[in-house]
Amino acid sequence: MYSIVVVPPPTSEDERNRTQHRLAPGERITFGRTGCGADLPIAHEGVSRRAGEIGAQGAFWTLSNLSREQTYVVENPEGAGEHIKVGPGRLDAPVPFEFSRIVLPAAGDLLPIEVWAPRHDYLHAEAGGDNAVGETTAPAFSVDRTKRYFAVLAALCEPRLRGEPHAPLPTVDQVVDRLRPNWPAASRTSVQWNIDYLAVKLRLKPGPGEPDQGPRLNGKKESLVSLALRFDLVRENDLLVLTAAPTDRLGQLGRSGRLAR
Amino acid sequence: MSEPYAIDVPRGYRVGVWEVRAPIATGAFGSVYEARRTGDLIGEDLPRTAALKFLPTGTGTPRQLAHLRELVDREVELHRRLKRPRLIRMYDTLTVDDPSRPALDGATVLVLEKAERSLASLLAGTPRPGAGPLLLAQICEGLAQLHRAGWVHGDLKPANVLLMKDGSARLADFNMAAELEGTHAYTPAFSTPDYTPPEVLWSEIDERGRRIRPSADVWAFGVLAHLVLAGSFPLPGTTPAARRDAAASYASGTDELRLSPQLPDAWREIVRACLTRTHADRIDTAALLHRVESAAGTGTSPRLPRGLLPQRRRTAITVGSVLATVAVVAAAGYGISTWAGPDAAHDAKGSAAAYGASELRTDKGVPVRYRRLIVDSAHQCALPEVTPALVAAMLKAESNFDPNLSDPSVPGGGEYGIARWTPAVLRWWIRADGAPASATPAPPLTPAQSIPAMGRYLCFIGNGLKSSLPGDRRVLIAAAYRTSYKKVNDAGGVPPKNRAYAARVAHYLKEYTPPGGT
Repeated sequence: MYSIVVVPPPTSEDERNRTQHRLAPGERITFGRTGCGADLPIAHEGVSRRAGEIGAQGAFWTLSNLSREQTYVVENPEGAGEHIKVGPGRLDAPVPFEFSRIVLPAAGDLLPIEVWAPRHDYLHAEAGGDNAVGETTAPAFSVDRTKRYFAVLAALCEPRLRGEPHAPLPTVDQVVDRLRPNWPAASRTSVQWNIDYLAVKLRLKPGPGEPDQGPRLNGKKESLVSLALRFDLVRENDLLVLTAAPTDRLGQLGRSGRLAR
Repeated sequence: MSEPYAIDVPRGYRVGVWEVRAPIATGAFGSVYEARRTGDLIGEDLPRTAALKFLPTGTGTPRQLAHLRELVDREVELHRRLKRPRLIRMYDTLTVDDPSRPALDGATVLVLEKAERSLASLLAGTPRPGAGPLLLAQICEGLAQLHRAGWVHGDLKPANVLLMKDGSARLADFNMAAELEGTHAYTPAFSTPDYTPPEVLWSEIDERGRRIRPSADVWAFGVLAHLVLAGSFPLPGTTPAARRDAAASYASGTDELRLSPQLPDAWREIVRACLTRTHADRIDTAALLHRVESAAGTGTSPRLPRGLLPQRRRTAITVGSVLATVAVVAAAGYGISTWAGPDAAHDAKGSAAAYGASELRTDKGVPVRYRRLIVDSAHQCALPEVTPALVAAMLKAESNFDPNLSDPSVPGGGEYGIARWTPAVLRWWIRADGAPASATPAPPLTPAQSIPAMGRYLCFIGNGLKSSLPGDRRVLIAAAYRTSYKKVNDAGGVPPKNRAYAARVAHYLKEYTPPGGT
């Protein structure tokens, strides 16, 4: 029932599976310096003891800046520089992005906390426009066709949509190559990150015996593709996202969390 | 509704023996049209009119959707395998073969029993309909029939409950329905947020779809019952998203369930039993049906002396093979407005003498033979002021319950019958559908004509009276019945020459209203 996922800053160099905190609407989580009782401890001396609080509010979340002097910046990593500033002492500032990175200034370092809001709703392509109404039978999935994850999903589905129902799925490297013309910063890591995110977004049930996360992406990819095709999340005309000229939305900022590494 | 039709079928279009008439509705997946049977008696059991549901499954449609095929198959499969009296009937399936119309070619057409309207359209016009408990009992029966057969509906909501000509309810729209495999069924990952239980809201989904249990339908029933009886959703919030969040925080235990005070007590417990935080605590369908029937007064044993039932309602009993299929409920419960307020069910007698006892006292001389007419008449009107006690008090003041009253001397055509109707006025209110009768009714005017028309006219008056007028609105309505609501508005209250009449109505109103009532 969670609607918000909080990913703390990385603690060691090659750690891919950071502990994720999943918040249901109404739940809150505090962050602050390690050893000061915060729910999400950050091991850095430059961070305030009580640095801030994240509150899940339905499909979006709010940020309270509990520090005395620091302004926090919340970036939309896919938003071509889009960001909001939350000044010291500001409580419950709403954040509208599906992905966000809270940048904490700490004694010369910038520490990123990632926050995902995978329950964001989007208008469904084929609907008349009133499908936000609770009376209408609506698909359980809601994807933003302008986001990178959608391009990744489209690239994964492409061979089967092009008429080969049992075509093998592209490997992550093939996906990277396919996406690179429109997304020069695409990398193995960023594609894998998007596949992991899609599994969260589409609420993919981990297969039997499959570890929750990890390098074994095959099963996950297979499930994503069959789910996407079965429910028409990606259709043939959506493959345009793979060939369209680069636009702002697929613009210059790399997805992979450059700050994080 | 102005939404574009998912499939546009021209009037007069022929599919099989059917000729398409007016559009009825359009949903997320297809469009429904009224149709008339043209061919003569090839299939003897086909009705003269039917509802044709067109689903765009053709290869040439721009909306060529992989999942649509699956949704259609589910619906057809359910209809083929299940025929139950409370489920809408499917007579046939056809495929359009018409290459000249690419948008229609290949469409699947389900030939379904034609309904009068949907519960959604009823609620849009009449929030908290008087027949609500009865309808809920029938909807619950439908769910029980479905669940007993091992299916889950998966998308129960007012738009998917259809009301037949006789006023009875049937479940329809089985695109999401799924057959149980053990304790679960897999349904396509579509849902209507306001009717989705919290455990399904953001549940995990695997390649076969979303796993749901029959208890998901039970939750939806709880929401529906609250909506029908209290006129609002059980969870707070002005938008579906806000209500979804409220459902989530209720399920997580951070919030309590606060049901509308408008909900009658007997139903409060039922709705609570449906809207539990977890599916495991939810009441099972058989037990739910039992409680719903007892609250609705449709009971498991025939309590109503058949002789008291108005003749025209008897036709409702002939629906399908009711007796043969459903042993749980006796036939008297079908299609008959037995409901008389939440407390009537507790009445040991439950007979005509106690009909509507919670709203109209039984010990003050209101003739038993008119009780049903009076109570039902008032229940046609959603205004809280138009009560059975008001109708009874007016009848007392008008004619002292004399059905043979005849007063031809009154200017304007005389006044006749138990409600002292002027025939030229009654003409406008005599028909149940609200349309004026083609001719002025001629006296004598029977109680069966006079009393139901009162509820409709009083409702009209109630809506015409200024809300700023001082005094008891019920008495103002009665005074306006004697003159007109315009005169009462102009006089700023009861006009002087109607004061004696108004005082008599007020007196009997007090006498007939049960203690605790208003």
